[in-house]
Amino acid sequence: MSAVIAVPQVGLIGQSTVRRDGVAKVTGQFAYGVDVRLPGMLHAKIRRSDIPHGLLRRVDVSRALALPGVRAVITGDELPEYRASRYIRDELILAKGSVRYKGEPIAVVAADDPEIAAEAVRLIDVEYEPLPVLSDPEQAAQPGAPLIHPEWQTYWANPVLRRDGNILNHTTLLRGDVEEAFAQARHVFEDEYDTQIVHQASLEGHVAIASVDLEGRVHVVSSHQFPYGLRQDIADILHLPLGRIHVTASGLGGGFGAKLYASVEPLCVLLAERTGRPVKIELSREEELAATSPRMAARVHLRTGVDSDGHLLVRQGVIYYDAGAYSLSSPGTSAVGTLMLPGPYRWQALQIDSYSVYTNKTNCGSYRAPGGPQATFAGESQIDRIARELGFDPIEFRDRNAVENGDLGPAGQVLTGVSLRKTLQVAKERSRWPQAQDRPSRPGVRRGRGVACNWWTTTSGASAAVIKLNDDGSIVLSVGATEIGTGAVSAGLVQICAHEMGVAVESVQIVSADTDATPYDFGAQGSRTTFQNGQAIIRAARDLRQQIFALVAPGLDCETDELEVHDGHVYRRDGTGRAVPLAEVARLGQTVGGLLGRGSFTAPPTPYDPSTVKGHTYPAFNSPSFHTHVAEVEVDTETGEVTLTGYHVAQDVGFALNPLYAAGQVTGGATQGIGYALMEEVQYRDGTVLNPNFTDYKLPTIRDVPTIDVALVEEPSEAGPYGMKGVGEPAVVAPAAAIANAVYDAVGVRIRSLPITAEKVLQALRSRELEG
Amino acid sequence: MSEQRLHLRVNGQAYELTIPADRFLLDVLRDDLELLGTKEACDEGECGACTVLVDGRAVDSCIFLALQADGADVRTVEGLAVAGQLDPLQRAFIDEGAVQCGYCTAGMLMSAKALLDENPDPDESQIRAALEGNLCRCTGYDAIIRAVKAASGGRS
Repeated sequence: MSAVIAVPQVGLIGQSTVRRDGVAKVTGQFAYGVDVRLPGMLHAKIRRSDIPHGLLRRVDVSRALALPGVRAVITGDELPEYRASRYIRDELILAKGSVRYKGEPIAVVAADDPEIAAEAVRLIDVEYEPLPVLSDPEQAAQPGAPLIHPEWQTYWANPVLRRDGNILNHTTLLRGDVEEAFAQARHVFEDEYDTQIVHQASLEGHVAIASVDLEGRVHVVSSHQFPYGLRQDIADILHLPLGRIHVTASGLGGGFGAKLYASVEPLCVLLAERTGRPVKIELSREEELAATSPRMAARVHLRTGVDSDGHLLVRQGVIYYDAGAYSLSSPGTSAVGTLMLPGPYRWQALQIDSYSVYTNKTNCGSYRAPGGPQATFAGESQIDRIARELGFDPIEFRDRNAVENGDLGPAGQVLTGVSLRKTLQVAKERSRWPQAQDRPSRPGVRRGRGVACNWWTTTSGASAAVIKLNDDGSIVLSVGATEIGTGAVSAGLVQICAHEMGVAVESVQIVSADTDATPYDFGAQGSRTTFQNGQAIIRAARDLRQQIFALVAPGLDCETDELEVHDGHVYRRDGTGRAVPLAEVARLGQTVGGLLGRGSFTAPPTPYDPSTVKGHTYPAFNSPSFHTHVAEVEVDTETGEVTLTGYHVAQDVGFALNPLYAAGQVTGGATQGIGYALMEEVQYRDGTVLNPNFTDYKLPTIRDVPTIDVALVEEPSEAGPYGMKGVGEPAVVAPAAAIANAVYDAVGVRIRSLPITAEKVLQALRSRELEG
Repeated sequence: MSEQRLHLRVNGQAYELTIPADRFLLDVLRDDLELLGTKEACDEGECGACTVLVDGRAVDSCIFLALQADGADVRTVEGLAVAGQLDPLQRAFIDEGAVQCGYCTAGMLMSAKALLDENPDPDESQIRAALEGNLCRCTGYDAIIRAVKAASGGRS
């Protein structure tokens, strides 16, 4: 069930064209990372730390090396300082001296088959001297807490970061006179919220294969979202010349942010260099869940002042994000929390302090809308509380405080393309809010409905495109972009190219995600692929059209600006003269060396007020989008069980290039948000993950998720192709708050910690009875 | 581990192999027969990505001993299309947007195939029951349900 609230468009844009990789995927022919096999390939496995924190006393690989079929074993001690991460170079690719999380790589083995490699890993003896384990980011941030990285000051770090001991980054956002605004406030609300670590859980985990050719070039094929970033990472980590490295993305079985940084690839390269053979590493599900980069947990302290008319005045918040043992993207994504905690509302004053903090857990990283879901669960849960306690309808209260065009965002950006009120209205209509709800399905069950809103960004970063006209009039589009599964590349970019070149989608072939063969792209991240690459393609097509028109104009006895191309032919706009087939133009083009259009794009930076922020790596949202979600639940008052009975999303996509796949992103994102709200959690006890498997790490199944009603709202952006905004990430942000607010509506208890399990609801109901 | 003879038909083709008795069907398909369409994601029968049909019944091939399939007819995603013609389920998965990354798709298709072979006109709750063992992390489930309905003729 989905709808587009839109203006009709001419041509291929706005049509649900079918993705190019669909047939390969439904017939089992599509090659993922796990399917890549090279002749003579070795299989590698990682020896990981058995304890969450300690000094490494001894790593003995002699028994592993003696095992028949083992071709190489590498430990940290024999390597130079090979350090990873883009914000802070705090992570050695193989530990030496100490380990800081359970599962940290200590050694790596390459062997003839995976079973021998696994056996060799078991034969590596490691002795530790345990150190105290830090689990709570707020405690780890306090002065005097034991340091997880005693040598933190010696690390190279991005100069924007404000670091101190276990604090990777302290971002401050301060706008207006906070004290004065609280003094004016008629009501002040104060709450604390906790969110959990959750995992991307892409069904294909991290997998890569590296080989070295006779010229010494390193070839890496990886299930990766950002081939150009990976190439830079490998060069930086292993001190290799960039030009010696060639990265291609294999087909991806999901990513959701987990595959943006180097992970297993540098180890593959080292082993391939050592053995002279291709080496593959494929992580197990246990390794994925316990030792790759999930979404940070967070604790949020939140205080909000409101005037007597129900206008929000001031919000003061402190967020402690749990970064785990090493930095990855945490210092940047924790900063994003300062833009998300205020939500899309008008404020007189704001003071948000956000910390990312080291603990002895696996490195957390980027997961769909990084930094957003934690802050929005807190911010929107409290907005709901305020609305209810002041006697407002929750939608009306949000509408009353909603930002509009020309208002200032949290760090002073001037907002454009604002559509929050429109999404509120659409969600209200589609959920038939506030009419009486259906009767509960059985006795002992109460029904409730909750709303939550958010805004989100369209990440910038460069993309480039090359379009080649073949002799038969067909087209080859070359982009560095990676098809992560959304359809952005296999449908969206093909569609834009075909539309701009006036040919059928079937006439466009696409080459992508290869650092030797395709131009630069900043990666499948930040809801950016179609937006940035789309603009690059529009520019490349313009370039190619100009070349085509210059060749054709003399024969048609006109100027180039009197020509147009559609249906595979060049025409005079006035309808006179003959239609010149593109194949004919292409053959003419051979006489001048062939026809090749080039284009590149990076969205211009959004201005903001630098005096409002410190330690901020992402102070403004480019081409922001706006969102309203409504959740409908049943709560069993005997068991505390929450059942989602209905779900509505009104998402502003700017322009729905391909409505089917845009709605697919919304449904998929909301489904992950529902898992975050109700069941998912990487459970740690003293640094050990208790549930590193799909039996105990609960993902939403087809039984847990009702039909999601998607409305695509179109409020055009200025910078996006055809007015588009980023689509992929934002639907994951609001579900937790919408569902928590629905639970309150049903049974009158506020659950302030995720996930909202039956146990927590029941406990809240019981303690209310005791108090009552 | 003792080696044993295994006879089976996969997508109509007869095979005879010698395998360790503890080898799982998934490994036989992927490594011995090089049929890579069937995927592994959890390795413990929780996610359904490795679903294949053994004598028409949907099984998790990652925890199904290959020898249990001795003498059986095995059908994998590679065997769905006949003579280059996509099965209606395959066509519907593409058309309804039920494929994003596609990693769960082979398993989804085979579970759905088992359902439609037994019940050509399932209602939504029967579809949900048949696919409850198949996790999808990308699409949510609406498009998949729509696709199964469309392939069944959508009469329910």
